[in-house]
Amino acid sequence: MEGIPIRSARRGDIPSLLLLWDAMMREFVDADPRFEVHPDARAHMAASFAVWLQEPGRTVVVAEEAGRMIVGFATGVVLPGNGWQVPERLGRISDVYVAAPRRRKGIARRLAGRLLDLLYEEGVETVRLAAAVENPGARAFWNAVGWSELEVVLERPVPDPTPKV
Amino acid sequence: MDDATCGPAPAIRAARRSDLQTLTDLRMRYLGEAAHDEPRLRLTADARARTEHALPVWMGQEDRVLVVAEAGDGDGETTHVVAYGMGYLRTAPPVLVRRHVGELLEVFVVPEFRGQGHAAAIVRVLTDALVGRGAEVLRAAVPMGHAAAQARLKKAGYVPVQVELERTLGRG
Ligand SMILES: CC(C)(COP(=O)(O)OP(=O)(O)OC[C@H]1O[C@@H](n2cnc3c(N)ncnc32)[C@H](O)[C@@H]1OP(=O)(O)O)[C@@H](O)C(=O)NCCC(=O)NCCS
Repeated sequence: MEGIPIRSARRGDIPSLLLLWDAMMREFVDADPRFEVHPDARAHMAASFAVWLQEPGRTVVVAEEAGRMIVGFATGVVLPGNGWQVPERLGRISDVYVAAPRRRKGIARRLAGRLLDLLYEEGVETVRLAAAVENPGARAFWNAVGWSELEVVLERPVPDPTPKV
Repeated sequence: MDDATCGPAPAIRAARRSDLQTLTDLRMRYLGEAAHDEPRLRLTADARARTEHALPVWMGQEDRVLVVAEAGDGDGETTHVVAYGMGYLRTAPPVLVRRHVGELLEVFVVPEFRGQGHAAAIVRVLTDALVGRGAEVLRAAVPMGHAAAQARLKKAGYVPVQVELERTLGRG
Protein backbone atom coordinates (compact mmCIF):
# COMPACT_ATOMS: atom_id res chain seq x y z
CA MET A 1 0.00 0.00 0.00
CA GLU A 2 1.32 3.45 -0.94
CA GLY A 3 1.61 5.62 2.15
CA ILE A 4 2.30 9.27 2.76
CA PRO A 5 5.91 10.12 1.77
CA ILE A 6 8.50 10.09 4.56
CA ARG A 7 11.74 12.02 4.01
CA SER A 8 14.66 13.45 5.94
CA ALA A 9 13.90 16.89 7.37
CA ARG A 10 15.43 20.03 5.87
CA ARG A 11 16.13 23.49 7.30
CA GLY A 12 12.93 24.85 5.78
CA ASP A 13 10.92 22.35 7.83
CA ILE A 14 11.98 23.86 11.17
CA PRO A 15 8.88 26.11 11.60
CA SER A 16 6.59 23.12 10.94
CA LEU A 17 8.66 20.93 13.25
CA LEU A 18 8.30 23.52 16.02
CA LEU A 19 4.53 23.74 15.56
CA LEU A 20 4.23 19.96 15.80
CA TRP A 21 6.63 19.85 18.75
CA ASP A 22 4.49 22.44 20.61
CA ALA A 23 1.34 20.44 19.93
CA MET A 24 3.06 17.26 21.15
CA MET A 25 4.18 18.87 24.39
CA ARG A 26 0.69 20.28 25.01
CA GLU A 27 -0.69 16.76 24.72
CA PHE A 28 1.96 15.45 27.11
CA VAL A 29 1.24 18.11 29.74
CA ASP A 30 -2.53 17.59 29.44
CA ALA A 31 -2.01 13.87 30.08
CA ASP A 32 0.50 14.34 32.90
CA PRO A 33 1.24 17.74 34.49
CA ARG A 34 4.68 16.47 35.58
CA PHE A 35 5.76 17.17 31.98
CA GLU A 36 5.22 20.92 32.35
CA VAL A 37 7.24 22.70 29.68
CA HIS A 38 10.09 25.09 30.47
CA PRO A 39 9.51 28.72 29.36
CA ASP A 40 12.70 28.56 27.24
CA ALA A 41 11.80 25.22 25.65
CA ARG A 42 10.68 26.60 22.29
CA ALA A 43 13.88 28.60 21.75
CA HIS A 44 15.91 25.62 22.90
CA MET A 45 14.12 23.32 20.45
CA ALA A 46 14.47 25.77 17.56
CA ALA A 47 18.22 25.77 18.13
CA SER A 48 18.29 21.99 18.66
CA PHE A 49 16.46 21.21 15.40
CA ALA A 50 18.88 23.46 13.48
CA VAL A 51 21.83 21.56 14.98
CA TRP A 52 20.26 18.11 14.64
CA LEU A 53 19.68 18.54 10.89
CA GLN A 54 23.44 18.73 10.40
CA GLU A 55 24.76 16.57 13.23
CA PRO A 56 26.25 13.18 12.36
CA GLY A 57 24.37 10.41 14.16
CA ARG A 58 21.17 12.50 14.40
CA THR A 59 18.14 11.68 12.31
CA VAL A 60 15.01 13.77 11.83
CA VAL A 61 12.34 12.50 9.43
CA VAL A 62 9.04 14.06 8.46
CA ALA A 63 5.78 12.87 6.88
CA GLU A 64 4.78 15.26 4.12
CA GLU A 65 1.32 15.43 2.63
CA ALA A 66 0.48 16.85 -0.77
CA GLY A 67 0.85 20.62 -0.68
CA ARG A 68 4.08 20.32 1.32
CA MET A 69 2.21 20.03 4.59
CA ILE A 70 4.21 18.32 7.36
CA VAL A 71 1.85 16.19 9.46
CA GLY A 72 4.30 14.15 11.52
CA PHE A 73 7.93 13.84 12.53
CA ALA A 74 10.31 11.54 14.33
CA THR A 75 13.80 12.09 15.74
CA GLY A 76 16.55 9.68 16.68
CA VAL A 77 20.20 9.63 17.65
CA VAL A 78 23.08 7.17 17.91
CA LEU A 79 24.68 7.11 21.36
CA PRO A 80 27.48 5.16 23.03
CA GLY A 81 26.33 2.54 25.55
CA ASN A 82 27.24 3.02 29.20
CA GLY A 83 30.26 0.76 28.77
CA TRP A 84 29.45 -1.96 31.28
CA GLN A 85 26.14 -3.21 29.93
CA VAL A 86 25.38 -4.15 26.35
CA PRO A 87 24.95 -2.69 23.81
CA GLU A 88 28.18 -0.81 23.07
CA ARG A 89 26.21 1.61 20.84
CA LEU A 90 22.51 2.18 20.79
CA GLY A 91 19.94 4.19 18.95
CA ARG A 92 17.54 6.38 20.85
CA ILE A 93 14.23 7.68 19.54
CA SER A 94 13.43 10.96 21.25
CA ASP A 95 10.17 11.95 19.56
CA VAL A 96 7.49 10.53 17.28
CA TYR A 97 4.45 12.68 16.66
CA VAL A 98 1.56 12.65 14.22
CA ALA A 99 -0.96 15.53 14.04
CA ALA A 100 -4.15 14.38 15.74
CA PRO A 101 -6.44 14.51 12.63
CA ARG A 102 -4.01 12.24 10.73
CA ARG A 103 -3.76 9.44 13.28
CA ARG A 104 -4.50 5.75 12.77
CA LYS A 105 -3.48 5.88 9.11
CA GLY A 106 -0.13 4.16 9.60
CA ILE A 107 1.93 7.39 9.52
CA ALA A 108 3.77 6.80 12.82
CA ARG A 109 4.48 3.21 11.77
CA ARG A 110 6.16 4.54 8.61
CA LEU A 111 8.03 7.33 10.45
CA ALA A 112 9.37 4.91 13.06
CA GLY A 113 10.20 2.36 10.37
CA ARG A 114 12.24 4.89 8.40
CA LEU A 115 14.03 6.03 11.55
CA LEU A 116 14.93 2.44 12.43
CA ASP A 117 16.23 1.81 8.89
CA LEU A 118 18.47 4.88 9.16
CA LEU A 119 19.72 3.90 12.61
CA TYR A 120 20.42 0.37 11.38
CA GLU A 121 22.43 1.83 8.49
CA GLU A 122 24.50 3.61 11.15
CA GLY A 123 25.38 0.21 12.63
CA VAL A 124 22.95 0.23 15.54
CA GLU A 125 21.17 -3.00 16.51
CA THR A 126 19.40 -1.91 19.68
CA VAL A 127 17.11 1.08 19.90
CA ARG A 128 15.46 2.46 23.03
CA LEU A 129 12.96 5.16 23.91
CA ALA A 130 10.94 6.39 26.86
CA ALA A 131 7.15 6.59 26.80
CA ALA A 132 5.06 8.24 29.48
CA VAL A 133 3.08 5.85 31.67
CA GLU A 134 0.06 8.15 31.28
CA ASN A 135 0.16 7.83 27.49
CA PRO A 136 -1.72 4.62 26.70
CA GLY A 137 -1.93 5.51 22.99
CA ALA A 138 1.85 5.66 22.66
CA ARG A 139 2.34 2.45 24.64
CA ALA A 140 -0.24 0.67 22.45
CA PHE A 141 1.50 2.00 19.33
CA TRP A 142 4.99 0.82 20.38
CA ASN A 143 3.59 -2.51 21.41
CA ALA A 144 1.85 -2.85 18.02
CA VAL A 145 5.11 -2.17 16.15
CA GLY A 146 7.13 -4.75 18.05
CA TRP A 147 8.77 -2.94 20.98
CA SER A 148 9.01 -4.48 24.43
CA GLU A 149 9.18 -2.84 27.84
CA LEU A 150 12.60 -2.99 29.50
CA GLU A 151 12.46 -0.78 32.59
CA VAL A 152 10.01 1.31 34.51
CA VAL A 153 11.12 4.74 35.72
CA LEU A 154 9.57 5.79 39.02
CA GLU A 155 9.69 9.21 40.59
CA ARG A 156 8.71 11.05 43.72
CA PRO A 157 8.66 14.70 44.65
CA VAL A 158 11.52 15.87 46.83
CA PRO A 159 10.71 15.59 50.53
CA ASP A 160 9.34 18.76 52.13
CA PRO A 161 12.01 20.68 54.00
CA THR A 162 11.99 19.98 57.74
CA PRO A 163 9.75 22.65 59.27
CA LYS A 164 11.64 25.28 61.27
CA VAL A 165 10.57 25.62 64.93
CA MET B 1 17.19 -2.26 45.16
CA ASP B 2 17.35 -3.89 48.53
CA ASP B 3 15.50 -2.61 51.56
CA ALA B 4 14.75 -3.24 55.19
CA THR B 5 12.92 -1.73 58.10
CA CYS B 6 14.25 -0.60 61.47
CA GLY B 7 16.99 -1.52 63.95
CA PRO B 8 20.14 0.46 64.81
CA ALA B 9 21.01 3.05 62.17
CA PRO B 10 23.66 1.55 59.88
CA ALA B 11 26.85 3.57 59.42
CA ILE B 12 26.84 5.27 56.03
CA ARG B 13 29.76 7.36 54.86
CA ALA B 14 31.12 8.85 51.65
CA ALA B 15 33.18 6.39 49.63
CA ARG B 16 36.97 6.90 49.83
CA ARG B 17 39.82 5.93 47.54
CA SER B 18 40.74 3.14 49.96
CA ASP B 19 37.31 1.58 49.17
CA LEU B 20 38.01 1.32 45.43
CA GLN B 21 38.82 -2.39 45.35
CA THR B 22 35.80 -3.33 47.47
CA LEU B 23 33.55 -0.97 45.56
CA THR B 24 34.61 -2.51 42.26
CA ASP B 25 33.79 -5.97 43.61
CA LEU B 26 30.42 -4.87 44.98
CA ARG B 27 29.50 -3.08 41.77
CA MET B 28 30.33 -6.13 39.68
CA ARG B 29 28.04 -8.17 41.93
CA TYR B 30 25.32 -5.54 41.57
CA LEU B 31 25.63 -5.52 37.78
CA GLY B 32 25.72 -9.31 37.75
CA GLU B 33 22.45 -9.50 39.68
CA ALA B 34 20.87 -6.93 37.35
CA ALA B 35 21.98 -8.96 34.31
CA HIS B 36 20.59 -12.11 35.88
CA ASP B 37 17.21 -10.42 36.44
CA GLU B 38 17.18 -8.83 32.98
CA PRO B 39 19.38 -10.56 30.36
CA ARG B 40 19.08 -7.55 28.03
CA LEU B 41 21.24 -5.71 30.60
CA ARG B 42 24.08 -8.26 30.42
CA LEU B 43 27.64 -7.11 30.95
CA THR B 44 30.20 -6.11 28.34
CA ALA B 45 33.48 -8.05 28.26
CA ASP B 46 35.40 -5.18 29.89
CA ALA B 47 32.76 -4.12 32.42
CA ARG B 48 35.16 -4.62 35.31
CA ALA B 49 38.01 -2.62 33.76
CA ARG B 50 35.60 0.20 32.94
CA THR B 51 34.24 0.18 36.47
CA GLU B 52 37.80 0.35 37.88
CA HIS B 53 38.46 3.31 35.64
CA ALA B 54 35.16 5.10 36.34
CA LEU B 55 34.94 4.84 40.13
CA PRO B 56 37.82 7.22 41.01
CA VAL B 57 36.49 9.71 38.45
CA TRP B 58 32.99 9.53 39.93
CA MET B 59 34.36 10.07 43.44
CA GLY B 60 35.60 13.49 42.39
CA GLN B 61 32.40 14.66 40.70
CA GLU B 62 30.24 17.31 42.38
CA ASP B 63 27.01 16.02 40.82
CA ARG B 64 27.59 12.40 41.86
CA VAL B 65 27.14 10.86 45.29
CA LEU B 66 28.88 7.61 46.16
CA VAL B 67 28.39 6.20 49.65
CA VAL B 68 29.14 2.94 51.44
CA ALA B 69 27.64 1.18 54.46
CA GLU B 70 29.92 -0.42 57.01
CA ALA B 71 29.02 -3.25 59.34
CA GLY B 72 31.00 -4.87 62.13
CA ASP B 73 32.12 -8.48 61.91
CA GLY B 74 31.04 -9.23 65.48
CA ASP B 75 34.28 -8.54 67.39
CA GLY B 76 33.19 -4.97 68.07
CA GLU B 77 36.29 -3.53 66.39
CA THR B 78 36.61 -4.44 62.73
CA THR B 79 34.15 -3.08 60.18
CA HIS B 80 33.72 -3.93 56.51
CA VAL B 81 32.00 -2.27 53.63
CA VAL B 82 28.88 -4.36 53.01
CA ALA B 83 26.83 -2.08 50.76
CA TYR B 84 27.11 0.91 48.48
CA GLY B 85 24.86 3.39 46.76
CA MET B 86 25.28 5.85 43.93
CA GLY B 87 23.18 8.85 43.01
CA TYR B 88 23.52 11.46 40.30
CA LEU B 89 22.11 14.94 39.81
CA ARG B 90 21.20 15.15 36.14
CA THR B 91 20.73 18.65 34.78
CA ALA B 92 18.59 18.43 31.66
CA PRO B 93 18.36 21.07 28.92
CA PRO B 94 15.50 23.60 29.34
CA VAL B 95 12.71 21.46 27.90
CA LEU B 96 10.74 20.60 31.03
CA VAL B 97 10.31 22.91 34.01
CA ARG B 98 11.91 20.38 36.32
CA ARG B 99 15.47 20.27 35.01
CA HIS B 100 17.34 19.01 38.05
CA VAL B 101 16.63 15.34 38.47
CA GLY B 102 18.14 13.40 41.37
CA GLU B 103 18.67 9.84 40.13
CA LEU B 104 19.07 6.88 42.45
CA LEU B 105 21.33 4.90 40.15
CA GLU B 106 22.55 1.90 42.13
CA VAL B 107 22.00 0.47 45.60
CA PHE B 108 23.51 -2.88 46.53
CA VAL B 109 23.79 -4.78 49.80
CA VAL B 110 25.73 -8.05 49.96
CA PRO B 111 23.17 -10.84 50.47
CA GLU B 112 24.37 -11.82 54.00
CA PHE B 113 23.66 -8.27 55.22
CA ARG B 114 20.24 -7.78 53.64
CA GLY B 115 17.24 -7.11 55.83
CA GLN B 116 19.23 -4.96 58.28
CA GLY B 117 18.27 -1.52 57.03
CA HIS B 118 21.40 -0.78 54.99
CA ALA B 119 19.56 -0.08 51.73
CA ALA B 120 16.96 2.12 53.39
CA ALA B 121 19.72 4.07 55.14
CA ILE B 122 21.66 4.47 51.88
CA VAL B 123 18.55 5.67 50.06
CA ARG B 124 17.96 8.26 52.81
CA VAL B 125 21.53 9.54 52.56
CA LEU B 126 21.48 9.64 48.75
CA THR B 127 18.11 11.42 48.81
CA ASP B 128 19.33 14.06 51.25
CA ALA B 129 22.53 14.58 49.25
CA LEU B 130 20.69 14.93 45.93
CA VAL B 131 18.10 17.30 47.38
CA GLY B 132 20.92 19.27 48.98
CA ARG B 133 22.53 19.62 45.55
CA GLY B 134 19.30 21.01 44.09
CA ALA B 135 17.26 18.02 42.87
CA GLU B 136 13.67 19.06 42.07
CA VAL B 137 12.44 15.50 41.70
CA LEU B 138 13.83 12.04 42.48
CA ARG B 139 13.90 9.14 40.04
CA ALA B 140 14.89 5.50 39.90
CA ALA B 141 14.75 3.01 37.01
CA VAL B 142 13.93 -0.63 37.73
CA PRO B 143 13.91 -3.58 35.29
CA MET B 144 10.33 -4.37 34.25
CA GLY B 145 10.32 -7.82 35.82
CA HIS B 146 11.79 -6.71 39.15
CA ALA B 147 8.47 -6.47 41.00
CA ALA B 148 10.00 -6.49 44.50
CA ALA B 149 12.19 -3.43 43.82
CA GLN B 150 9.24 -1.61 42.26
CA ALA B 151 7.09 -2.41 45.28
CA ARG B 152 9.75 -1.08 47.68
CA LEU B 153 10.06 2.16 45.75
CA LYS B 154 6.28 2.57 45.65
CA LYS B 155 6.21 2.11 49.40
CA ALA B 156 8.74 4.94 49.64
CA GLY B 157 6.40 7.25 47.71
CA TYR B 158 7.66 6.66 44.16
CA VAL B 159 5.14 6.35 41.33
CA PRO B 160 5.75 5.16 37.76
CA VAL B 161 6.27 8.02 35.30
CA GLN B 162 7.82 6.45 32.20
CA VAL B 163 8.58 3.10 30.67
CA GLU B 164 11.80 2.48 28.80
CA LEU B 165 11.14 0.39 25.68
CA GLU B 166 13.56 -1.52 23.50
CA ARG B 167 13.62 -2.94 20.01
CA THR B 168 16.32 -5.09 18.44
CA LEU B 169 17.02 -4.54 14.75
CA GLY B 170 18.35 -6.72 11.97
CA ARG B 171 17.21 -10.09 13.22
CA GLY B 172 14.47 -12.08 11.61
C1 LIG C 1 1.44 7.47 19.22
C2 LIG C 1 1.27 8.11 17.83
C3 LIG C 1 2.65 8.56 17.36
C4 LIG C 1 0.70 7.06 16.87
O1 LIG C 1 0.58 7.65 15.57
P1 LIG C 1 -0.37 7.04 14.42
O2 LIG C 1 0.09 7.58 13.11
O3 LIG C 1 -1.79 7.22 14.77
O4 LIG C 1 -0.01 5.48 14.52
P2 LIG C 1 -0.26 4.37 13.37
O5 LIG C 1 -1.46 4.74 12.58
O6 LIG C 1 1.01 4.17 12.62
O7 LIG C 1 -0.56 3.11 14.30
C5 LIG C 1 -0.01 1.82 14.09
C6 LIG C 1 -0.68 0.86 15.06
O8 LIG C 1 -0.36 1.26 16.41
C7 LIG C 1 -1.49 1.02 17.27
N1 LIG C 1 -2.00 2.30 17.78
C8 LIG C 1 -1.65 3.54 17.38
N2 LIG C 1 -2.27 4.48 18.13
C9 LIG C 1 -3.04 3.83 19.00
C10 LIG C 1 -3.93 4.24 20.02
N3 LIG C 1 -4.15 5.53 20.31
N4 LIG C 1 -4.57 3.28 20.74
C11 LIG C 1 -4.37 1.98 20.49
N5 LIG C 1 -3.52 1.51 19.52
C12 LIG C 1 -2.88 2.42 18.80
C13 LIG C 1 -2.54 0.36 16.39
O9 LIG C 1 -2.33 -1.05 16.47
C14 LIG C 1 -2.19 0.87 15.02
O10 LIG C 1 -2.65 0.03 13.97
P3 LIG C 1 -4.22 0.12 13.50
O11 LIG C 1 -4.55 1.57 13.34
O12 LIG C 1 -4.20 -0.63 12.21
O13 LIG C 1 -5.00 -0.52 14.59
C15 LIG C 1 0.26 9.29 17.86
O14 LIG C 1 -0.90 8.88 18.55
C16 LIG C 1 0.81 10.54 18.52
O15 LIG C 1 1.45 11.35 17.87
N6 LIG C 1 0.58 10.69 19.86
C17 LIG C 1 1.06 11.84 20.61
C18 LIG C 1 2.59 11.85 20.70
C19 LIG C 1 3.15 10.59 21.31
O16 LIG C 1 2.61 10.07 22.26
N7 LIG C 1 4.27 10.13 20.75
C20 LIG C 1 4.95 8.96 21.24
C21 LIG C 1 5.89 9.36 22.31
S1 LIG C 1 6.75 7.96 23.01
